[in-house]
Formats: sequence, C-alpha cells, structure tokens
Amino acid sequence: MKLKFNHVDFFYGTKAPYLFQALNDIDCEIKEKSFTCIVGHTGCGKSTLIQQLNGLLIPSKGSVFAGDFVVSSNKKERTKKLKPLRQKVGIVFQFSEYQLFENTVEEDVAFGPMNFGVKKEEALKIAHESLLKVGIGESFFKKSPFDLSGGERRRVAIAGIMAMQPEVIVLDEPTVGLDPRGVKEMMLLFKQLHEQGTTVVLVTHDMNLVYGYASDVIVMDHGKVVYQGGPHELFNRSVDEYSLETPLVTKLIQGLENKGYKFDLQKIAFIDDLVDEIVKQRRTSK
Amino acid sequence: MSNITLGRYVPRDTFIHSLDPRVKIISLILLMVAIFISYSTWEMTFIMAGILGLFIFLLALISNTSFRLLFKSLRAMWFLIIFLLLINILIKPNNAEIIAFSIGSLDIYWESIFQSLKIIIRLFLMVSLTMILTTSTKPLDLTYALEWFMKPLKVIKFPTHEIAMTISIALRFIPTLLNEVERIMKAQTSRGVDFKHGKISSRFKAIISLIIPLFIASFQRAEELADSMEARGYDPKAKRTTYHKLRFSVNDLFVFILCGAFMAATIVFSVMNFTIKTPLFVPWLVIGCCLVLFYLFGLGAANARRYKK
Repeated sequence: MKLKFNHVDFFYGTKAPYLFQALNDIDCEIKEKSFTCIVGHTGCGKSTLIQQLNGLLIPSKGSVFAGDFVVSSNKKERTKKLKPLRQKVGIVFQFSEYQLFENTVEEDVAFGPMNFGVKKEEALKIAHESLLKVGIGESFFKKSPFDLSGGERRRVAIAGIMAMQPEVIVLDEPTVGLDPRGVKEMMLLFKQLHEQGTTVVLVTHDMNLVYGYASDVIVMDHGKVVYQGGPHELFNRSVDEYSLETPLVTKLIQGLENKGYKFDLQKIAFIDDLVDEIVKQRRTSK
Repeated sequence: MSNITLGRYVPRDTFIHSLDPRVKIISLILLMVAIFISYSTWEMTFIMAGILGLFIFLLALISNTSFRLLFKSLRAMWFLIIFLLLINILIKPNNAEIIAFSIGSLDIYWESIFQSLKIIIRLFLMVSLTMILTTSTKPLDLTYALEWFMKPLKVIKFPTHEIAMTISIALRFIPTLLNEVERIMKAQTSRGVDFKHGKISSRFKAIISLIIPLFIASFQRAEELADSMEARGYDPKAKRTTYHKLRFSVNDLFVFILCGAFMAATIVFSVMNFTIKTPLFVPWLVIGCCLVLFYLFGLGAANARRYKK
C-alpha cells in the first residue's frame, strides 16, 4: 500500500483562540513495502503527520492517499468510511502500554481484529500468533495486562496492532524506555515484519536505528519535510544541515576512511558489520 | 472535547483580569443574589433582568470574554430550556389568568411562558457571570482565594490548606486528563473502535476501552505525583508562603462597593414592591435590545476571528 501526501497543511485549534500550524505543505511519499523512518526534533509535526495516515486527523488543506482511500480536506473527495482504512494502516502510539483494558492479555490482542469483524476463535488464534511473535510466551496469555511490566505491556500493545494484520504498520517511538536488548529484539521484530511484506513506518529519535534499518528516511523540521531519500545519502551529506545526530557507525566509518580504509556502505548497517568488514580487509591486505 | 474547555482561562490584560480573585468571587455571589431576587410584577422582573443583563454585558465587554463562547453556553442548555418550557406549560400556575393561546383543549397562559422565560434568563445570566469569572481568573488564583475564605475554619482544625491544595491539583490535571482521553481515544480508534456510531452494546464496549486505561493512568499519575511531592519535602502541616500575594487595591474596593450597591438596590426594589408603571412592551424592548447587542457582538467577534485567518 502506497501512502502519498499531496500538499497537506494541518492546523490545531481552528475553533479555539490558539491557532497553530503543525504541518506546512507536506508533499511526500511512503513507498510500498519500504522501511521508512520519520525523524525530526520534538514538536516538528511527526506525530501529527502519522495521524493523517489512517484518518484520525483530517488535513486542513490538501489530501492523503492511502491505497484506494482518500483522506482529504475536501468532503466530496474524502472516502466515506474510514474504518476499513484503520485496519489497513495500524498505528502504535507512543506509550502504547497505557491503552490495554481487557481482562486477559489474549483478549486484549484479539480486541482489534474482532472490531474488524473477525470471529472470536479466529481472533484469539491470530492473537496467540502475534503474541508469540513479539516474544510474549504462552504463560502470559491468561494473565491480566496490568500484572505485566511496562516493557511487556508495550509488546502486548504492539501485538494488538499486528493482530489486525495491517498492510502498513506505523510505530511512534516504540523503543523509548526499553533496555538495549529490548530495543534490539523489538527492531528485529519490525525488520521481520518488513521482510514479510509489511510497510513499516517508524518515528524515532535514534539515528543508529535509522542507519541500521531504514530503507527510506523522511526528515521533518517545523512542520515541513526537509529531506526525503535513503539513509546513506542523508548521513553522508552534512547532517548538521538538519541538526541531527550522526550515527555511531557513520562516525567510525568517516574516521577510518580518513585513515585510508574504504567501505561499501550498502553492506554495513551496524557496528558488528563494520567490525567484520575491518577484519576481512586486514586479512586480505596481509 | 471543546465543550469541556468552555470557560477556560484566557490570559488577557484587562481591568477585570487585574482584580483580586477574592473580590471577584464575592462580587459573583452578590450579583447572583441580585439575579435571584424576585419582584411582585412581571414588568419589574424583566426590567431588572434587562438591567442586570446590560451590566453583565458590560462586564463581558471589559473582560474581553468571547461572546461566541457565551452563546455557546446558551446553546449547550437547549435541552434544559425545552424541558423547562414543557413543564411550565403543562402545569397551570396558581395565579394564571390571561390565556396566551390554546392548542386544542390545552390552554397556555402568559404566566407560564413568563415563568419559564424568567428561569432561562436567570440561568443564562448566571452562566455568563461564572464564565466571565473563570475566563478572567487563573484557576490557581481562585483556589488561593478559596483558601483565604476558609481561613476562619482553621480555628476548628479544618484542613483548609490541604483542601486548597487538592483543588489546585485537581484543576491542574483537568487539561492533562483531557489530553489523555484524546490520546487513548485515538489509540482505540486505530484498533477499530467507533466512539460515535454503532450499536449500544459496541458503544458501551468503546466507553469501557476508554475509561479503564484512563483510570489506570490517573492512579499511576497520582501515585507518581505523591511520591515526587514527598521527595521534595512537601509537608501539609508546614507553614507555607506563596509566590503570588493576594492584594486588595482601590479598584477592588470600587468593584466591591458597586456590586454591593447593585445587590442592595435589587433587594430594596423587591421589598418595597417598587414598580414602574409601563406598558408591557417596555421590558420586552429592554430584553430584546440586550439580546440583539449580545448577538451582534458575538457575530462581530466571530468575524474578527475569521479575518485574522
């Protein structure tokens, strides 16, 4: 499912005395089956942007195209029923651990698919699969979600969206507050989802994750898209332009290249890859 | 959501904003008494309502309160208005004499129409007054004022400071909770919950999916707040000073005397059975003028906003 923004403006507080323009002429595209990262400073409009993707917020101007669905400021063009769109584009919000409410973990995960007309037995089956995928074992299925730890609850919430089997999964800072191992597990899960054909849209502040996983990057600043393209081009150009942090790998590579090493950037996503590459190069040079 | 924010504090720099919150609360009570005084004749009732309306209109004008919002509050009361009209029309008043018109065998008396109109006008004036108070006074200042009013109760070991603190914390967290509601609603909508349409059973489920996370989050927040207050050495029994001192100025005295005089005048008129011999259309004219004035200003405010965009 391709997602396309067509000159989208968005204002908060059109009916209140405080008017605030959160999005300013957004014109960009999220490719089908891509792993797109959206980065930018706090308050630059990232969260507002992703809420346009499933019609939670309607653009004040312009339109968003998601597959056959149109979310437009123009009522005539807008798709009448947006509920099916919410099944196709699943959004995991920030601090999603606070959205659980059912008696048991499995019921909570099954809640999403059941809202979209899946029968209970079927929904529970899908729920079990999703829970296992996010690393929540069978012993947790009958527990109350409120007995779990914060990290576990976040996994359950993500499973809740995955169980809806969306074509696009949008994640708003899903790794905040997790320990390094948790972050890695979570990211591997998203990578796996991406490899299985789901379009993944990830909002994050962690440039190392962007460098390691993204196929596309959208950089936002003050409600505008200032960069759209691959991660290597972004970090090879001066990142200072958008005042983003340089990923550790890029810093290392740049340092090593100054010393005469040469690397194929496409092959290196993580520090581990870089280490392997260095070892290999040293061996061949000997 | 925007309905709940009706009457939210709007920071402006006006005469009313600069008044002492204690005086504002007392004036509110005085004017409320004035609103609720009843008179022997309908002419007098409506004339006084008109004068009070004009006075409140002036207050709204000075305090820069949005007339659009005042009208919105009236619109929020439509159900009450219809209910009142129905009740008053169906129950025949004791002293009713003149039949306004009849529908079938049901006689409708002027008396009952006046009665419901009186209540509606009183309600509207009251809500307007309260809104002027809340839009022109910081919630925290209001709690400080309440704490000051409760001071005499300290003699009987009444926990005035604790109550004021509780109120100010509650007020502080209203917008936070509203944000929370919005956030959870969005999250559940993404999971296919429809809060606006659907069968009653599914609507019920939708509300549950909102309320439970909200409760959990607020309890958690309360606990965190309590911990952080304790960590910073908060002791309710300790003597506290405040950053903002409440000050009583000449302006406050002036407003206090004005409102007091207003109330006194209404009581005197009421007790002395003071009537103005006028044809019945005069009070109607006063009320009509008031409403038109309110409406025009409401329109003006709405237009001004549109131009700003």
